[in-house]
Amino acid sequence: MGSISGMLRALASGSKHLAIRRFTLRYPEQKLKFVGDGYQFDPKEGVGIAGYRGRHILYHDKCTGCQLCSIACEGIAEAITMVKIDKQYKQNKKGIMPQIDYGKCVFCGLCVDACPFYALFMTDDYELAAYTKEHLIYTPDQLAVKPKYVGTYEIKIDELGAYHDE
Amino acid sequence: MATVSEFRFSEFVKSILWLLFWVTLVVSLIVLPIIFIVLFYVPEPIIDGQRINPYLLLTMLTNPQIGAPLIKATMETTFFKVVVLPGFTFAALFATVLIYAERKILAKMQLRVGPYHAGREAFWWANSLGGFLQLIADLLKLLGKEIIVPKGADKPIFLAAPVVLIIASAGLVALIPIAPNWVVADIDVGLLAVFALLGFFPLTALLASYASNSKYPFIGGLRALYQLISYEIPLILSVLGVVILAGTLSLTGIVEAQNPYWFIVLLPIGAVIFFITALAELERIPFDLPEAESEIVAGWLTEYSGMTYGLIQLANYIKMYVLSALFVTLFLGGWSGPQIASSLEIFNVTLITAEEANGMTWFVIKTLGIAILMIIIRGINPRIKIDLLLKTAWGKLIAVAFINVFIAVALLYLGVVTVGA
Amino acid sequence: MQQEDKALKDRVREIPGLQMEGEDRGILTLSVGPQHPGSGHFRLIIKVDGDIIAEALPDPGYVHRGEEKMCEYRNYIQNIPHLERPMIADSCGILYPYVLAVEELLGIQVPERAKYIRVIMAEINRCIFELYWLAIYGIFLGHSTMFMWPMADRELLIDLAEMASGARVTHAYFVPGGVRNDIPDIFVEKATKHVKYFRSRLKEYESIFYANPLFQARTVNVGVLRREDAINLGATGPVLRASGVEHDIRKAEPYDVYDEMDFKVITMKEGDSYARAYVPWLEMYESVEIILQALEKIPNGPVRIKLGPNPKGGVAEVFKRVEAARGELAYYIVSDGNPKPYRVKLSVPSFRELPVMAHLLKGAKLADMPSIYWSMNYWPVEADR
Repeated sequence: MGSISGMLRALASGSKHLAIRRFTLRYPEQKLKFVGDGYQFDPKEGVGIAGYRGRHILYHDKCTGCQLCSIACEGIAEAITMVKIDKQYKQNKKGIMPQIDYGKCVFCGLCVDACPFYALFMTDDYELAAYTKEHLIYTPDQLAVKPKYVGTYEIKIDELGAYHDE
Repeated sequence: MATVSEFRFSEFVKSILWLLFWVTLVVSLIVLPIIFIVLFYVPEPIIDGQRINPYLLLTMLTNPQIGAPLIKATMETTFFKVVVLPGFTFAALFATVLIYAERKILAKMQLRVGPYHAGREAFWWANSLGGFLQLIADLLKLLGKEIIVPKGADKPIFLAAPVVLIIASAGLVALIPIAPNWVVADIDVGLLAVFALLGFFPLTALLASYASNSKYPFIGGLRALYQLISYEIPLILSVLGVVILAGTLSLTGIVEAQNPYWFIVLLPIGAVIFFITALAELERIPFDLPEAESEIVAGWLTEYSGMTYGLIQLANYIKMYVLSALFVTLFLGGWSGPQIASSLEIFNVTLITAEEANGMTWFVIKTLGIAILMIIIRGINPRIKIDLLLKTAWGKLIAVAFINVFIAVALLYLGVVTVGA
Repeated sequence: MQQEDKALKDRVREIPGLQMEGEDRGILTLSVGPQHPGSGHFRLIIKVDGDIIAEALPDPGYVHRGEEKMCEYRNYIQNIPHLERPMIADSCGILYPYVLAVEELLGIQVPERAKYIRVIMAEINRCIFELYWLAIYGIFLGHSTMFMWPMADRELLIDLAEMASGARVTHAYFVPGGVRNDIPDIFVEKATKHVKYFRSRLKEYESIFYANPLFQARTVNVGVLRREDAINLGATGPVLRASGVEHDIRKAEPYDVYDEMDFKVITMKEGDSYARAYVPWLEMYESVEIILQALEKIPNGPVRIKLGPNPKGGVAEVFKRVEAARGELAYYIVSDGNPKPYRVKLSVPSFRELPVMAHLLKGAKLADMPSIYWSMNYWPVEADR
């Protein structure tokens, strides 16, 4: 008897779910919205600002080529190497800037925590797929471009269940 | 980097023209002469005093006075019944709808979408019915795959097993009545024939697994054998009560005998046992042991690839249609129901009478309902273990089926039900 | 061909326990190997006598990559994304004792707000892991709905974790000195909403999974672990609590602000697979309670103590342990005054469950193997480190 009532209970629960909303996010047409503007770090306070840890953005007018990001990454993923750049900046005497290899980067953000000049932050962009491994190495000029990511869907909850909607 | 051959439009046009050339050559030199030779020897039928040849046939079809009775005459031939209406095409369409319904209903119960992209931009109404062309996409994919026969496998049996499964399923389809005059094979012992054909499946599963020459299919085949044979006995016993009350073994007779009350009202226990054993015969979850397990990779159909796998799945879904239809016929009154459909007439000739159309509609609704119940039960249950499987079949189900038979006999002798005509 | 067969036989003979000849006739040696749909990356050598398992020899080490040695080449901050990888599904849980140990080594005190945030994230991670574990339990038993529902509900919690830390699974959120960034303003409101909805979803699992007679037939009275055996063999976590031993490090040695939270320690008496599956479900309710309490009580203030780029402690040894989702996780760090640790020893609950697994599998039926194996909370990557 107990097994019959257990089976009926499971049947009732399964049938109830035919009326609950589907949860799936249909990816290319619907993209997730993130809170904040990307992970940033305030070296004066020593604390980070919440945001999504995606691709980096490098501000050319603040980077001094101090290599602290590269040194921080050496123990983790060895994804940042310093390369010489053509344009001369006043604050960048050595003329070098970081180049990030996204084939190796683990997106932990400790390089952002290491930068003392507000020059390296992270953005919302995670769509970084490429056809070859060489295309995954982002030069300093590529890192300076602000990404165009528009995401508007987030989780909403109502009586009919949880779902993704704008 | 992989090299991809480039697309040249001239090559594409050249391949199309080459195809057209060969088709024209083959048709004009081989196919048409064969047709004319056959027609030379086969006597042409005489209708209204005129000898029909193909051109006259097509001309006559344009005249509604003659064309419509011609169509009605074709619909009464056995050929039409076997191929189209209660027969294979109907069953295959039903199986297709069932596959789509299973994937979508299971997805909805699991809070996800299921097939979504195939067919969305095809028609304007397809946007909310996402993925309805997914089956065609899967079919094309399976057709394009190589059929691999394992080394040391018994090739004739290995390749014949899916075909035998389709033949057995198609044979079962021939026995199901969907409307008062629409059965392919209206035989007096229809129910016995059903059980005889159901006996093909365990044998084929064992032969297919043995012919695969690999240890996982072997284990799966043995388990399929245990399961299918053990559950045939409660299946037959649960139907005994229905036979006692109806007084006949023919399926049409059983439907007509459910006149005031359907048999599910009189014999609910038998209906439940039949449903459970039907799930076991179909190898569906919760009785999924032979097919998919985390210990054996895919059971007795591991080594089947390409279209052989497609044929086995088609046979499985047609068997699902047949067993649901059998449940409807035996317990839910077959085609009876209040009149909601009207007849199908063209040019003042009734192709399908109102009563028959009504029967077909109710039959389809009820069978779909039972199949959807099978799908929901798939969604809520885990897999059963082998010792519980065998203990249930040989112990509990046979005992309860006997109780069901006693109830049927008691109903008969107490005069609650008189044996149907 | 002959030489290849002979070489294969020699290699097979080297694997301890996996002998093919010279054994009792009638005992078949199965290798539920590292590549199998029924186990993780973990080889389990089972000797089967008919249908009963005569002996089970776990053979871990397939995914060993020298985590503890690699820690010696990185300083304390660079170790953080490195050390969360063995148990990435519960990443805050495996980092928690590390940051507590390093804080004791460096002699720093963490601000209050950081403690509350750490407790919230640790409980969210506990639920994330338990849901994943339940999903895989469903799939092992063939229950595909029980795979999909926890994965969908896990998404609610991963969304919260992403709001706080910036990444969905690889959080790298705890640092010695607090947490890396403050939670956004919208977090408290969204967390309350998500977590309350999650609690209502937990009730659904009972009717479709725990009360399902087919699931009960597979797990009730299967793999019964008695109380004395559990204590003697060194079981930990939900496995220990399902055998009737009331031991939870969050209550026995409270760390951060667990002593201010009001929650129960869940135990069950039976000790079979059903109890080991039921206890984590009840613990998720307690986690939800802890999260809601912490969200109410959270004070304002700083969240991180500013350290130099290469923090180092004196010559000392520290030992800290924490109740992760699978049991007791402990770190033992030896420092010799350099910014890089001298020795980091990571003691994980999965590895300590292996004797219990071998003891329970002996004498069980072969068909019970998936349900016993997965109820041990074994995670191969963590056990091999």
